[in-house]
Amino acid sequence: MSTRKEQGTRVKKKPYVKPEVKQVPLRPEEAVLGYCKSTAVAGPMSSLCSTLSCYSNGS
Amino acid sequence: MKTAPALFIRVADITLGITADSSDVEVRPQEVTRKFIVARRKPDVVIQARWGDLSQRSWGKKIFDSDALWQLYQENGSYVFRFTSPILGLHPYKIACFNKEFSRGEIHLHRSYFKPDQPVDPFEYPLDELTVNHFLATREGAEVHACGVVVPPGEGYLFAGQSGAGKTTMAKLWQKVNRVNILSDDRVILRKKNHRIWTYGTPWHGEAEIASPEKGPLTKIFFLRHRERNELVPLSKTEAVSRLFACSFPPFYDQKAIQLVLAFFSEVVKTIPCYELRFFPDERAVEFIDEKFF
Repeated sequence: MSTRKEQGTRVKKKPYVKPEVKQVPLRPEEAVLGYCKSTAVAGPMSSLCSTLSCYSNGS
Repeated sequence: MKTAPALFIRVADITLGITADSSDVEVRPQEVTRKFIVARRKPDVVIQARWGDLSQRSWGKKIFDSDALWQLYQENGSYVFRFTSPILGLHPYKIACFNKEFSRGEIHLHRSYFKPDQPVDPFEYPLDELTVNHFLATREGAEVHACGVVVPPGEGYLFAGQSGAGKTTMAKLWQKVNRVNILSDDRVILRKKNHRIWTYGTPWHGEAEIASPEKGPLTKIFFLRHRERNELVPLSKTEAVSRLFACSFPPFYDQKAIQLVLAFFSEVVKTIPCYELRFFPDERAVEFIDEKFF
């Protein structure tokens, strides 16, 4: 039966949709905020970063 | 001992009050963060910075390692972030201890790693972003890897995606359109306030260096995908939540926080339509959205 009675009104059954698994990729290296993000770093990194070219900028 | 003046930074309606416990810590935030400085007000998060010797300190139990700049420890119910850099040496250059509500924290800077008589930014990235993310996780909010724009008369659009998806490209394309306010080219915050979802700019910009302290009511979310032609594909709520989660920065080691962030995203997609935007990166992408919705 494709319909059912519910509180006096006839409600159409939704068509069956077969469940499916979809993979949504995560990027852990971005999600954990581990990258250096700025080239204007203060503190002890400021001179060292530019001297040693140690940047790994993430966006 | 003289106390240094307090600094108040406001991101996504969260006020962070930062003080140094002595005048020899000269706090100077990075230039982009200065846009987010506000007048003195009651802070949501109180943070005190001080010099210290971190060579002998213990950290408690390690609960997370970012495999990069920071690790997280738990010690007597408090959280301790430990920041290290191979170029500085074995000891952390900074630690930050927070209570479990993330309403109060202390930053200790390893004195010998810093040049004397130079200003410092104790709250520099990634500590600022980590603090805001942890604070939001239990308070109906989340940070999303997205470009945010506000189109007149007040439609907040989010263009979300991981690195390389086209966020900065999209921000630059919208920059050419009159009266459009760009909140960020890389990171925005979503919060529920007064029964609405709002999107906020953050200091954590991308290559286009767009970082606005403003906000707008969120009306649509687009997940970016590069294609040869422009196309809009509506997404189911389940898929939209999954994609938002994949573009967010929640505390992965905290089960309760993860549940709350997922519940918040479910709340967001109940009222905000979400699409996959397949786009070719030129002006026609913006015209395409304009034609679809105006």
